[in-house]
Amino acid sequence: MKTRTLILAAAVAVALAFVPMFGSDVMIQFGINALVLAVLAQSWNILGGFGGYVSFGNSVFYGLGTYGTAIAMTTYNLPFGVGLVIGVVLAMLGAALVGVPILRLRGPYFAIATLGLNGAMMAIFSNLPIAGTNIGLVLPLTRNDTMFYELSLALLVACTLTVFWISRSRYGMGLIAIREDEDAAGTMGVNATLYKVTALILASIFTAVAGGIHAYWSTFVDPASAFDSTLNVRMVIMCVFGGPGTVFGPVIGSFVLSTVYEVLAAQISTAAALLFGVVIVLAVIFMPRGLADIMRDRANFTLRYFIRNIRENRL
Amino acid sequence: MTAPAKTPASRTVIETRGLTKRFQGLVSVNNVSFAIAENETLGVIGPNGAGKTTLVNMISGTLTPSEGEVIFDGARINDVPAFRRAHLGIARTFQVMKPFPGMTVLENVAVGALFGRDGGVKSMAQARESAREWLEFTGLGKRIGVGADSLGGPDRKRLEFAKALAMKPRLLLLDEVMAGLNPVEVDEVVDLIKSIRGQGLAMLVIEHVVKAIRSLSDRVMVLHHGEKIADDDPTTVLEDPRVIEAYLGKRRT
Amino acid sequence: MVLAQILLNGVLLGGLYGLMALGMALVWGVLNIVNLSHGALIMVGGYVVYYLFTLAGIDPFLALPIAMAVMFSLGFALQWGLLNLVVRSKMLNTLLITFGLDVVLTFTAQLLFSADFRTINPSYAGANFAIGGLTVPTVRLAAFGVAVGLATGIWVLLNKLPLGRAIRATAQNLTAARLYGVNPRMLYAVTFGIGAALAGAAGGLYGMISNLTPYIGASLTAKSFVIAIIGGLANPFNVILGGIFVGVAEAVTALYIGPTYTDVISFGLLVAVLVLRPSRAVRAA
Repeated sequence: MKTRTLILAAAVAVALAFVPMFGSDVMIQFGINALVLAVLAQSWNILGGFGGYVSFGNSVFYGLGTYGTAIAMTTYNLPFGVGLVIGVVLAMLGAALVGVPILRLRGPYFAIATLGLNGAMMAIFSNLPIAGTNIGLVLPLTRNDTMFYELSLALLVACTLTVFWISRSRYGMGLIAIREDEDAAGTMGVNATLYKVTALILASIFTAVAGGIHAYWSTFVDPASAFDSTLNVRMVIMCVFGGPGTVFGPVIGSFVLSTVYEVLAAQISTAAALLFGVVIVLAVIFMPRGLADIMRDRANFTLRYFIRNIRENRL
Repeated sequence: MTAPAKTPASRTVIETRGLTKRFQGLVSVNNVSFAIAENETLGVIGPNGAGKTTLVNMISGTLTPSEGEVIFDGARINDVPAFRRAHLGIARTFQVMKPFPGMTVLENVAVGALFGRDGGVKSMAQARESAREWLEFTGLGKRIGVGADSLGGPDRKRLEFAKALAMKPRLLLLDEVMAGLNPVEVDEVVDLIKSIRGQGLAMLVIEHVVKAIRSLSDRVMVLHHGEKIADDDPTTVLEDPRVIEAYLGKRRT
Repeated sequence: MVLAQILLNGVLLGGLYGLMALGMALVWGVLNIVNLSHGALIMVGGYVVYYLFTLAGIDPFLALPIAMAVMFSLGFALQWGLLNLVVRSKMLNTLLITFGLDVVLTFTAQLLFSADFRTINPSYAGANFAIGGLTVPTVRLAAFGVAVGLATGIWVLLNKLPLGRAIRATAQNLTAARLYGVNPRMLYAVTFGIGAALAGAAGGLYGMISNLTPYIGASLTAKSFVIAIIGGLANPFNVILGGIFVGVAEAVTALYIGPTYTDVISFGLLVAVLVLRPSRAVRAA
């Protein structure tokens, strides 16, 4: 990766850190939501973008992080930090427990198995007294949007640094080899099961922290908001739109789509949700390697680039 | 006279005992036993569908045998998964070439260095360096930066070969690395294979090009309908009338 | 006796499940596309029948063929205009694009039809008759009959008609089919259209038995997928049998474990089926 890109990314991160000093309340709140979604998209990128395994169930880690934090803070009066840790541990356990059986499945089999995950978790938590059944939990109120903003930004930076490390490490090479051809990767010595499960666990950590931060910020948790299946739609689409398997693609993709969504949602909320579907359909057809591929080389921003992408894959 | 590689002192690297594979009642490999020692090259020939690739799949761990044993370095490895066999030092090429299409040529080979024998090297820099060397060795030195999916047929064969070598194997299984090459390219690959012999490496070479088999193999094994019908020095085997009939048909008799 | 009744209900509902999965299995088997928008197509078909019934006053069973024609056109257009553009790409991309279509269909439906529950409720909706001590709901029996009838139709199409031969040839070898004068773009669009038409019929029947909302797509996709795996992609009757298996399993678990955990159970069943059929699930794809 070019040094220029890295310097630019660092500069953007620093600039973002100063937003709360100048931005309005509305802007900071939009920022928190956008940063949390970017964390989800970036986490999804670890197994989805590098490992090539499409999960439609990562929202459960968000939900486990949410509930872990909420239960710790309400039922046991523990501090926020401890709550986050509990949420992360819950999510990691969940990832390991679910990952081992279903990561044996390949391609569409894995993807579909994850489709049911969110509903199942929602049903379980709706029946758990400790989680407030389907009424939910109310967390202590802390009016400090700047803190939540900076926490979310720090989490995104941490997650992106992790992905940056993956992209240049032996571990990442193993994941990419699995994505490209799992059988061949196996015969070359890649322990595919271990790599896939650890990728899911890594993703679950960041996703759970994002859930915990969001829970404390919004002060309310119920099954429908914690296990929100539209989160899966958003994180997958933001990552794919931005560039799966790249370091900055998912972040760019989610910032762009969050902004467009915000503008549209002010008009018609259903239309905004519809947008995500349209975006991914067009993205898969015209730029299957995402925005990042276009930004890497501006020469790609031509009609010929899009036509070539279609030529490659059409019947 | 050069001494044959199979001296009493040399250790057996790979051995199979009564290896059998059935697919829904169809016997693909039937009761095949053989051994390859250090520094030895075994050529395997046989008509299409004789079970050669199935045999390699059972040794590399892609398939589990229905019966019989695969023994590597004295230990039974029937239940050892493919990736762990790679760590033990078993490397293979695929007849249907399987480069990682989204990676560069260099990265393809680096995967071999990173994950091969004993789990490979841990440092990316070291892996790249080793990959570069193997690519020079196989004649792909000028193409390290290009995407693996843009390579043509012969270069893909070289890439397969480089990937396997980067794993620093003790047993190398070459599944028709010469198929589809012209005579000049075949000679190049034969020279490549000859130059990696020694240093303890055991090789199993599946090939249709009889000339190449003759010049490479210390012994030649013939499979026919999944059964071993000959296993001896190349000259004896290639002139055995049963082999000629099974493998080449009646036209040469 | 309770168990017998439960089994009967499961079998009747299972026939409909089989019909849901039939279109998905066809598209998967021939085009190698796992269509994640299949459930959404079922949902759209349900609304088409709903509006034909409520606005035009057409009997829902008579509306089924119209809905199938509408859905065929929609499916044909989707394949011709969109999916044919990515069909040679990695499975990952066809998964993602049909996932996007699912989102588009779901929220378009919400925009057009609102998020309210709808039920197709003809005058005879509650009718039933007794046979040997068991209550047989007429509509469910009729739905079962339609499912078996359509499966028979697909079997005849695939095995006895020239179009079916072309479809099967294309499924086996695209290049060879091309040599025999098959136009793959057209054939793919027709196949996807047939898949969507079957989804449309299933949706209409589903709307008479259960509630329609724009959001039922994802769970119906998952259900269809499981049944397609159990039944296989080759024989329509096996898909119906797969549906019956799932219908009975659901009815029995709801009886003994309780309906609150239906989602957990169906997820467990999904994973169990996927993991226990490793030969196909792990190796194919």
